[in-house]
Amino acid sequence: MPTVGIVVNPWAGKDVRRLHAPVGHTPDTAKVGIVRRVVIGALDAGASRVVVARDLGRIAERAVHGIDNAFLVDGPGTGSALDTRRAASQFAELGCDVVVALGGDGTSRDVVIGWPEVTLIPISTGTNNVFPTFVDGSSAGTAAGLVATGRIPVASVASTAKRLVVDIVHRDGTTERDIALVDVAAIDGQGTGARAVVRPERIRAVVAAIARPTSTGLSSIAGRTHPMTDADEGGVVVRLAAAGEGRRRLHVPIVPGAFSVLDVMSIDRLAPGEHACFDGPLVLAYDGERECVLGPGAVARVSVDRSGPTVIDVDRALRLAATLHLFDAPMNDAPMNDAPMNEEASDGD
Amino acid sequence: MELTRDQHLAMHRSMVRIRLFEEAAGTLMETGKMPGFLHLYVGQEAVAVGVCEALRVDDYITSTHRGHGHLVAKGGDLARMMAELMGKATGYCSGKGGSMHINDLSLGMLGANGIVGAGVPIAVGAGFRNKYRGTDQVAVAFFGDAATNIGAFHEAANMACALHLPVVFVCEHNMYGEYTPTSKAMVIADIVDRAGGYGMPGVIVDGMDVLAVHEATTEAVARARRGEGPSLVEAKTYRYYNHHGIQNLGLKYRPDDEVLAWKGRDPVFSFEQRVIDAGIATRDDLDSIWSDVRAEIARAIEFADESPFPEPDALLQGVYTEMGA
Repeated sequence: MPTVGIVVNPWAGKDVRRLHAPVGHTPDTAKVGIVRRVVIGALDAGASRVVVARDLGRIAERAVHGIDNAFLVDGPGTGSALDTRRAASQFAELGCDVVVALGGDGTSRDVVIGWPEVTLIPISTGTNNVFPTFVDGSSAGTAAGLVATGRIPVASVASTAKRLVVDIVHRDGTTERDIALVDVAAIDGQGTGARAVVRPERIRAVVAAIARPTSTGLSSIAGRTHPMTDADEGGVVVRLAAAGEGRRRLHVPIVPGAFSVLDVMSIDRLAPGEHACFDGPLVLAYDGERECVLGPGAVARVSVDRSGPTVIDVDRALRLAATLHLFDAPMNDAPMNDAPMNEEASDGD
Repeated sequence: MELTRDQHLAMHRSMVRIRLFEEAAGTLMETGKMPGFLHLYVGQEAVAVGVCEALRVDDYITSTHRGHGHLVAKGGDLARMMAELMGKATGYCSGKGGSMHINDLSLGMLGANGIVGAGVPIAVGAGFRNKYRGTDQVAVAFFGDAATNIGAFHEAANMACALHLPVVFVCEHNMYGEYTPTSKAMVIADIVDRAGGYGMPGVIVDGMDVLAVHEATTEAVARARRGEGPSLVEAKTYRYYNHHGIQNLGLKYRPDDEVLAWKGRDPVFSFEQRVIDAGIATRDDLDSIWSDVRAEIARAIEFADESPFPEPDALLQGVYTEMGA
């Protein structure tokens, strides 16, 4: 049964960066509209069912109201990243062909943590998103439906994303592994605070798997010094220096609309199989959010590989569908076309 | 700026003072030693402390019916607070105000308030005063999620934005208005969605994480001091006890697993774990704070017990302005 899953992060686009820079706010009403358009688009493209994960913002409930073949899954949740991860796991169990995720870079990351092999369409409703894109829900839903039904082969319109793998060894010998999709940053400090990184003077280094000069946020440090295309393998490591002690000085939008001047100590390419090391104490930010506190004596090794999720390019999918005439409706099913065009014209005289 | 060890320990002490004061006061009320009833702040400590640690002594706050935590976080005297709750003449309001009028103007705490949402316009008035006098003081309005359904909130938010006042609106979203889930009283789930309607930024922060609240409030306060106008900080939090008191009244208005899940993220204990893990303090350091505060609470109860009730001739004092002869 061709199935599309949808998960929405209700708190995306509402973090502390709004107090620091002229960053927009994404209200729930906007998210309800996007989810509803994805649902309608996916069903219109032939999906048999759409499953939407419940969220604490009750966005899913409002979005599917009154739509046949759209179903809610999961409980009201914890109001944390665990909700997205659990939803992704449920989508895997339900056999979803495509998952559409609304949120920021962190939301996509959580989906991938919950379901590493996911086929994903990430829609940006966050603050300075690199991994998700701004795309209309109707179009994203159409692409999801076309791929879910097999009318568009996923291999023709999707690519495998890179990911950053973080291996940590704590002072007591315990280990943990985590992932990110865009960047891992080493931040001075002792806690995760309000999570988003807004203070440039605290940034010690960034490892970016995606380094576009047009991006904003932490990955822009790499994108504005060593841009890479998404097809390039590996990543970029930029280590920063104390003010006045760097070899280069950069202007970068750490937060959209808030440019910072950073002193750069070094810029290095990180080839597949290589790793960058960071020693505690520091805080690791994954995809822009401080997540992991490294105590004194702990070590983190960061590498980049191409084992991320399968990401559908909505534009490519819809172009291919247009080429294949998949949007064409049968002429005899369209009442508007039943009337001779000259009669319509004569009505207007 | 990175917080110092002393600041971490001050935040911990402040949260412990709230926790132990509230539990002692709730027990005194339910054993009949304290008149009236109390709305306890237990579970929400990270909000008051995270906010007030980002303020100066001369900044103003207005509070709610659940206001003890705000006064404690602003530096309130536990003995005078306990005396006030017991109706004693040595209390903050000379024993005539009780829980829901408690205040300390010397600390900029303009008062708890028994009327839902009524403290919000008072904070806006304080913000107007600051701007009118050209000071760089900031006013903070604490209020709950349900208060944002009250007209006073909307009028105050609009006025603060229209006049570009140095006000920070802090919504303590604990998911219930008395015993009614927020989801039954409003369609939207995030109060910050209302901020944009008045033209101010609004942010969500984890209200169980004192450092997150502190960081967000620091940003909001800084922009207010710079003359960039109001903002709204919505702290997602939870009250452990019922709308009032400690005892379980047998009311089944929220699921047990929900309560347990929030208690699993306890703001005091999770903060303790973090400071220990980061090497900022040891278990012994933190245990000694608990001991200090327990002793402080015991002294506060003793002080209140031994204090006199107000004399009958004090009945009209503080009610009318003294016009003079």
